[in-house]
Amino acid sequence: MASRRRFLSSGIGSLALASMLRDDGLLADNSFQAPHFAPKAKRCIYLFMEGGPSQMDLFDPKPKLNEMDGEAMPESLLEGVKFAFTEKESARLLGSPRTFKKYGQCGMDMSDLVPHLSDHADDIAMIRSMYCDQFNHLPGQLLMLTGSPFRGSPTLGSWLNYGLGSSSKDLPGYVAMTTLGRGLPGGAASWSSGYLPSSYSGALFRNEGSPVLNLANPDKISPEMQRRTIEAVNDLNQQRFSETVNPEIASRIKNYELAYRMQSAAPELIDLSDETEATKEAYGLNRQDKTGFQASYARNCLLARRLVERGTRFVTLFLSTWDQHSKLDSELTKNTQISDQPVAALLQDLKDRGLLDETLVVWGGEFGRTPLGENRSGFKTVTGRDHHPYSFSMWMAGGGIKGGQTLGSTDEIGWGVEKDPVHIHDLHATILHLFGFDHEELTYRFQGRDFRLTDVHGKVVKKLLA
Amino acid sequence: MKSVHLIAKAILLLGLLTPVKADDHWAYQPIQPPAIPETNSKNPIDAFVFAKLGEANLKPSPEAPPHILLRRAHLDLTGLPPSPEEMTAFQEAWKINSKNAWTDKVDTLLASPHFGEQWAKHWLDIARYAESDGYLGDTLRHWAWIYRDWVIDSINRDQPYDQFSIEQLAGDLLPKPSQSQKIATGFHRNNLKNTEAGLDKELARTKQVVNRTATTGTAWLGLTLACAECHDHKHDAISHREFFEFYAFFNNTKDSDISVTLDKEWPITTIEKKKDQKELPKPTPKAQALAALPEIELRKTHVHVRGDYTRHGEEVSPATPAALHPLTIEEKEPARLALAKWLFAEDNPITPRVAANQIWQQLFGTGIVSTSDDFGTHGAPPTHPELLDWLALEFRDSGWSRKKLIRSIVTSSTYKQSSTNTFKDRPNELLWRQNSVRVKAETVRDIHLVASGLFTPTVGGPSVHPPLPKFVSEVGRSVKWPESIGPNRYRRGMYIFLKRTVLYPMLTAFDAPDTSASCSRREVTNTPMQALTLLNDPVFFECADTLGKELHLKHGDKTDEAIAETFRRCLNREPNPGEMATLSSAHYDLLDEAKNPELAMIATTRIIMNLNEFITRD
Repeated sequence: MASRRRFLSSGIGSLALASMLRDDGLLADNSFQAPHFAPKAKRCIYLFMEGGPSQMDLFDPKPKLNEMDGEAMPESLLEGVKFAFTEKESARLLGSPRTFKKYGQCGMDMSDLVPHLSDHADDIAMIRSMYCDQFNHLPGQLLMLTGSPFRGSPTLGSWLNYGLGSSSKDLPGYVAMTTLGRGLPGGAASWSSGYLPSSYSGALFRNEGSPVLNLANPDKISPEMQRRTIEAVNDLNQQRFSETVNPEIASRIKNYELAYRMQSAAPELIDLSDETEATKEAYGLNRQDKTGFQASYARNCLLARRLVERGTRFVTLFLSTWDQHSKLDSELTKNTQISDQPVAALLQDLKDRGLLDETLVVWGGEFGRTPLGENRSGFKTVTGRDHHPYSFSMWMAGGGIKGGQTLGSTDEIGWGVEKDPVHIHDLHATILHLFGFDHEELTYRFQGRDFRLTDVHGKVVKKLLA
Repeated sequence: MKSVHLIAKAILLLGLLTPVKADDHWAYQPIQPPAIPETNSKNPIDAFVFAKLGEANLKPSPEAPPHILLRRAHLDLTGLPPSPEEMTAFQEAWKINSKNAWTDKVDTLLASPHFGEQWAKHWLDIARYAESDGYLGDTLRHWAWIYRDWVIDSINRDQPYDQFSIEQLAGDLLPKPSQSQKIATGFHRNNLKNTEAGLDKELARTKQVVNRTATTGTAWLGLTLACAECHDHKHDAISHREFFEFYAFFNNTKDSDISVTLDKEWPITTIEKKKDQKELPKPTPKAQALAALPEIELRKTHVHVRGDYTRHGEEVSPATPAALHPLTIEEKEPARLALAKWLFAEDNPITPRVAANQIWQQLFGTGIVSTSDDFGTHGAPPTHPELLDWLALEFRDSGWSRKKLIRSIVTSSTYKQSSTNTFKDRPNELLWRQNSVRVKAETVRDIHLVASGLFTPTVGGPSVHPPLPKFVSEVGRSVKWPESIGPNRYRRGMYIFLKRTVLYPMLTAFDAPDTSASCSRREVTNTPMQALTLLNDPVFFECADTLGKELHLKHGDKTDEAIAETFRRCLNREPNPGEMATLSSAHYDLLDEAKNPELAMIATTRIIMNLNEFITRD
């Protein structure tokens, strides 16, 4: 019985062993790279809008495009252009039915689809001049998430955990959550650690039930049995360690303690009973729609705040899909109904709790959508837009970002970038900079070469920094 | 960090003045038969290792006790632990004549059909084997397993490594290629394939060729070719132009699915059935193997400027890098076949070194060259260069017999040393002991299945789908995970359907590669997710549940006997008094809590199945 108390009361048993081993140098603390300079951001919530949201219907008003609705596009712009589906000879420009207004002291343009987000214009740095070179979903998403259009590279969250480690003792440093329509093109590659060790990969969380795979005890095993089991496992591992002095055993002991702590921390994380009704209301947790996506996404946004509050370094929320080749108006309305309110509430909540200063919030998809209506063969009417990597909009807030600005611009029909182009590599370089890393110096050796998030590219966008 | 960068630049500048020539690099030097050091050891491997230890004033560790040795040999050679009965028989034989007991056991294990499975697993990592395309649609490759089974079979019949390799690279180009030789070319069908609607098809094709080029370099030459796709790298053996000359060997193959006749008709139950699944193939003997065959119309190859295929540089012909031994292509000989044979030319020092190192790595946890995928100037130097050369020659001179080389390594005293880390601060590069190695992801599963008695030992055939929660299996787009039923739920980890967008989480947690690129060396991590998996994964709990029930039924309230048998089943040894005391006390508390003797025994079994030792090869 004494043994039971030992573990329960303060964790002296095995915990003491772990710290003893650490002092002994047998259990190396993870040796992370030190940041290269003082970081502004410590955590990141990445709101990934899978499929390619339509910039000219949300953030980049194009009156000229509306004027030219139904006209052919200037031929000079079409030269050498590839589309996924659009037949370029017969394609016609498609105006936006949205109404835009200017918001905040900065006067940022936002459409009627984001009535909640527009309250935060002064916190946001809107980038209208994003561009990339991938016009298919998965290569585009991989480029945005990993800096390479091919599978096998680590995602941004893995890089940051590799660089900084997790600041949570009992939750994973990198968590992914999904609200999925058609599923994610990359599946688990969307939070993979690529060639980095698998301990840096994101943990897929569910927003209800048991949040992490294998977190719940088997049905027959009560919490007390689990506790006693882990105690005995660590005790026996300790005995074995004293015989074989295999350092892996010391890590194993530490990880059983972490797992045990995670078993209570993760259910506590998703238990929202300590949140006020006002908070739940603000995020829109009680909204109901047929698919349940509105409530699910609201819950994910609230959980993202709870995660970063508890020290998780990087949270990605996937919302799928913004791939509106057809039915753009109704589908975009549906997506913004799901996401606008919770995203705005998240910004407000982070701000109210003093977390926004050190939490970087990123919003965006893998590319934008064409000013041309999509006329792929087989479509009877033109009601959507095709993939468009040549210009698109993203925004960032908090974490060292200078809010209340609109960076860059596109030409009058929204085809190409006119001013301050920002490639995805530049975005990555800037994000690493906010976390205190020189993107050229944060490297990992793999197959004989030092790899980095930005490959051989990337420039920090100084105008975005506070 | 900045200053380091500046220093690096300075070194580069100096390097320009005094170039380190790639052809001076150790790995490209001819292999001379090394002189075996004079020691007391008759075994050349021991002579090399012990001589080095002697120079460092170190002594080898004593031989590990027989129960450790048997478990080690079983796990290394077959990936499966021994049964208690095998252990008893072995210990009896050991008492009579330990040397014979060992060599007999090694021969038995080399002849086991599970040997081919275990060593195929290593090769399948290198071959980036998977059963789906990997991009947006992640189209399933229902017949990929025919290639996987070819690898298992080839290794089981100890097909010489040169033939094994030549058939995979150019089996289609051999005179009158057999069905089996065409199936072997499935090696280069394993790469990722993007088929997303509206994609740039030529880009997707060139990326496949790039992957085939790079994989060939990693697998047989320890060369990191992919670095040279975009531009030259100083000090590297391979220039940008040479990359595309090598690329040219693979630029004229066509992905073709060929009809094959299987030796065995797989029973319908081994292929998952579900009414709503039209895509599943009928298990007829007329299967479709994935092969890579010659293209009819030959394509010209150009250098891709900065790796961009739309920017054609000069035209190139198939050629091997100048730093390596010369290749002569006979008239009318297909270039790819010539390349495959070139790998096994007498004057090629690097392929035998790389191959011998890959084998050594599987038997010691780390290679003589620790960067087994990189024998270039950036890779680690060999800890025992003469031993590596001796092994390389031994491999080649034995007619490239994998089994003979493995046999000579595992019968050495070096291999049989204890892994106990007596001097905890002493690094083990010189091999003063064996290494303790966490078993591979698939073996973590296999050990559980064998210990519990649930294991289904069937070798080969269509892959299986153990249960997965929907929130895991349905993150991808086109995903259905038709749950396996019956004995198929308990197949080895290597038979779990390898779908690239839905990697089996238990395998990923224990560092199985994601199959995007060739992998000759897995990471070994130690994480809380692994602890949660071992504790709570339903498959592992089912194993503890099954074994606990069985032992409770057999031993009733004789708890000590049940605990001792669990030890024998899981760890292949008897518990010591300290362990017995800890477990008895835990069992007492668990019984107190569960109020159910059967459940208390299950929970006690679960403790043992969570020990580090259970998933460690000591």
